[in-house]
Amino acid sequence: MSRYLLRRILYLAPVWLGISFVAFALANLAPGDPASILLQSQFGRPPTAEELALKREELGLNAPFIARYATWLRDAVAGDFGTSYTTGEPVFQELANRFPNTLQLAVISLLIALTIALPLGVLSALKRDSLLDHLTRVNALLGAAMPSYWVAYLLILMFAVWLPLLPVAGRGTWQHLVLPSVTLALAATASLMRLTRAEMLEVLGQDYVQTARAKGLSARAVTLRHAFRNALITVVTVVGMLFGGLLGGTVIVETIFAWPGIGKFVVDSIFYRDYPVIQGFVLFMGTVFILVNLVVDLTYAWLDPRIQVVRP
Amino acid sequence: MPIRRSHVLSPVDRRQFLRLLGAGAATVASPSLARVASAPRRLAQGGGELIVGAPQDRTGSSSNGRYRGMYPPAWNVFETLVGLSHDFAVEPALAESWEFIAPNTWRFILRDDVVFHNGAPFTAEAVQWSMARIADEGGWGMYIGEDSTKIVDDHTVDITPTEENFILPLQLSQPGAGPILAPGTDNAVERIGTGPFREVEYVPDQQFVGEPFPEYWGAPPLLSRMTFRYMPDPTTRMLALQAGEVDLIFDVPREAAAQLGSGGLRLITSPVGSYEALYFNIHGAAPFELGQDPVIREAVSHAVDTGALIEGAWQGLMEPNHTMVPPVMLGEAGNSITGLSYDPAVAAQMLDAAGWTVGEDGIRQKDGRRLQLTMVVGYPSAEIHRPMPEFVQAQLLDIGIALEIVQIPDVGAYRDRLVRGEGDLWAENGGQGNASPCALAVELFTSSEESPEVNPYANAFAPGPEFDALLAECVASPEIEDVQAAAADAFRYLIDEQHIVLPLGGVIRLYGASERVLVFEPHPSQFHQRWDTTDVTAGA
Repeated sequence: MSRYLLRRILYLAPVWLGISFVAFALANLAPGDPASILLQSQFGRPPTAEELALKREELGLNAPFIARYATWLRDAVAGDFGTSYTTGEPVFQELANRFPNTLQLAVISLLIALTIALPLGVLSALKRDSLLDHLTRVNALLGAAMPSYWVAYLLILMFAVWLPLLPVAGRGTWQHLVLPSVTLALAATASLMRLTRAEMLEVLGQDYVQTARAKGLSARAVTLRHAFRNALITVVTVVGMLFGGLLGGTVIVETIFAWPGIGKFVVDSIFYRDYPVIQGFVLFMGTVFILVNLVVDLTYAWLDPRIQVVRP
Repeated sequence: MPIRRSHVLSPVDRRQFLRLLGAGAATVASPSLARVASAPRRLAQGGGELIVGAPQDRTGSSSNGRYRGMYPPAWNVFETLVGLSHDFAVEPALAESWEFIAPNTWRFILRDDVVFHNGAPFTAEAVQWSMARIADEGGWGMYIGEDSTKIVDDHTVDITPTEENFILPLQLSQPGAGPILAPGTDNAVERIGTGPFREVEYVPDQQFVGEPFPEYWGAPPLLSRMTFRYMPDPTTRMLALQAGEVDLIFDVPREAAAQLGSGGLRLITSPVGSYEALYFNIHGAAPFELGQDPVIREAVSHAVDTGALIEGAWQGLMEPNHTMVPPVMLGEAGNSITGLSYDPAVAAQMLDAAGWTVGEDGIRQKDGRRLQLTMVVGYPSAEIHRPMPEFVQAQLLDIGIALEIVQIPDVGAYRDRLVRGEGDLWAENGGQGNASPCALAVELFTSSEESPEVNPYANAFAPGPEFDALLAECVASPEIEDVQAAAADAFRYLIDEQHIVLPLGGVIRLYGASERVLVFEPHPSQFHQRWDTTDVTAGA
């Protein structure tokens, strides 16, 4: 296992290198000159040639693409993602300041989703075509169909305006977490619930489950120890993808709830062509995705001992 | 000061609620709508804490920049040598007076009763230090160089621009152009100015809290505290106002404004401080060369009914304006600019006479060329112009001109397209940030020999030497009347004579306020908004 882990970590290097190049190229090839955007934002008017030249020099934009990439990559390897054009702060620091907020939202949302989706998915499968099953499936459909911004406004209206129980937006107390977390959790719950149900139905029809029943094991033991554990393999894969999506794709919810996370910051950076932030974010999130996938892969072996890590 | 205007709103019904939710589709950074209702409160005495729902936080990221005015630091934590009155006149601030000393020096006499929030006295040294920062960044178009600022005595400074600049005080009235900082401080890190409020808490992207500065040289603020909570989404700001979490919000979406009005909530509007206009690309290459034809430009100007646009599409939340600057800035000279009357029949006749005949599809043609124009919409965003492009499209169709609308998502991509010159009509929504009536004309329409990459505006819109000569008059005199006359000549040339610019309306700012807000006087330039004259009731 330790050799497998080491090998997977070594695999990160070329993937990480590829991500870094794509991140750099995407940011730098997008139309728009960051120097002129920054200056126009600063002055409220088009910059003069002198101002533009000065700013481009200051931002290091006059060097060739490959030279800039090489410099950036060298610094990134050393943990220096550069300095944000707009804030003047180190990119790593900017991301590190905001990432915990996004992580907090993503973890809580995922926990909510798992807490609701797994039991309901299992129950729905066990009581197939019952009223509970129909209700669960309809709710899952609704949850998946409702766009997150719509859910967000609906929740704010219901729980912050009509019933003033929770704050509209912002961050600071646990109450501020509730509405954005629930908003994000709804869609995740829907997809996890449907998946859990489908996987359970498939596993429950397998021969080994019938065998377990024939051996006289209790329904609880059959469901949890034999069926659910096997159904979880696919669910864990999707949970990993969902978690990555929650970490990198919460910009709409962060914007609506004024949540100071990483998503909104990066979208603003895209508008300003803040290359170092865009590059740093893509690289950072790429690394996070890789690590999440690694954890998912390792979880397979724990869930199903038949899955062995073998030497190629 | 009284609140300028109030609109009383009706309670929310189911249709409005659904519209509110539907507005989210346009979402997040785009205008949307909402309705309001908050529990009535009993009015009490003033002097309370004001909580403002403000858009995106730019306190740290652009602390030198123009956005400072929308946010607490500008004009509230920091001050400049001269201010900008509500009618866009330069007024004393940290400088009591100023005078022009030929050939190119401006002398500022400073107040002697001012201290910074850190207790340091405000002297000429602070001015020199702050101007040196501007010089380090290229002078910001004011020609302030490294050696431009000389200390005459503790309360007198001379500023000599590196090039002739008779309008320096007009330019310095922009908060982003000349903030005076405590020497040795960095306003991106700590904001130590001389203003009526001092910073007590700043959490990036979340909130800024200020309290009255007890040693402020002017009248003390009426508020006991002001808190800016950053809420990028306009619908969220509306909902926060409705829920009573904030007392006042910026930038109410136009489509939501008419619904403000119940539960003590009201709409407050500013005087005109910005403009909505179309510029013709007069130097475009095929297929974007049609703007070179003055007949087409004039026909388009006659074909757009700006009155209907303002009252219909913009629901009366703009004001007629024949120029790009607030009318008051041009004084009497502004009366010479009339704009073109809405007259589609005349427009059609002009095109007929020029050989543009209506084809079978209703679009005019000449020598096999369809009369189709491309409107590029994207400055400062595409959303801010809606629904103007579609309105203009329909009106041009009435005279046989097809209009393709190209929406650009952000300023960067917009500028990139402008560099390539790929468009006939360019829609822009801009603001007046200082006291110079010539500033916009100079910045956008002066000729330049530089490449489109460096100066795309000049390469698309600059009329040429004749217009440059008019602009030269703008900076030829330190007297404001002379500058106004020169600015009026320049705009008349652009609008009435050459039809390069088609002003569509004067933009007013929309604020939503709860009944706690007793006094709020919106500045027509959002960058110059002061909060020391604002008052709210004490208690929540």
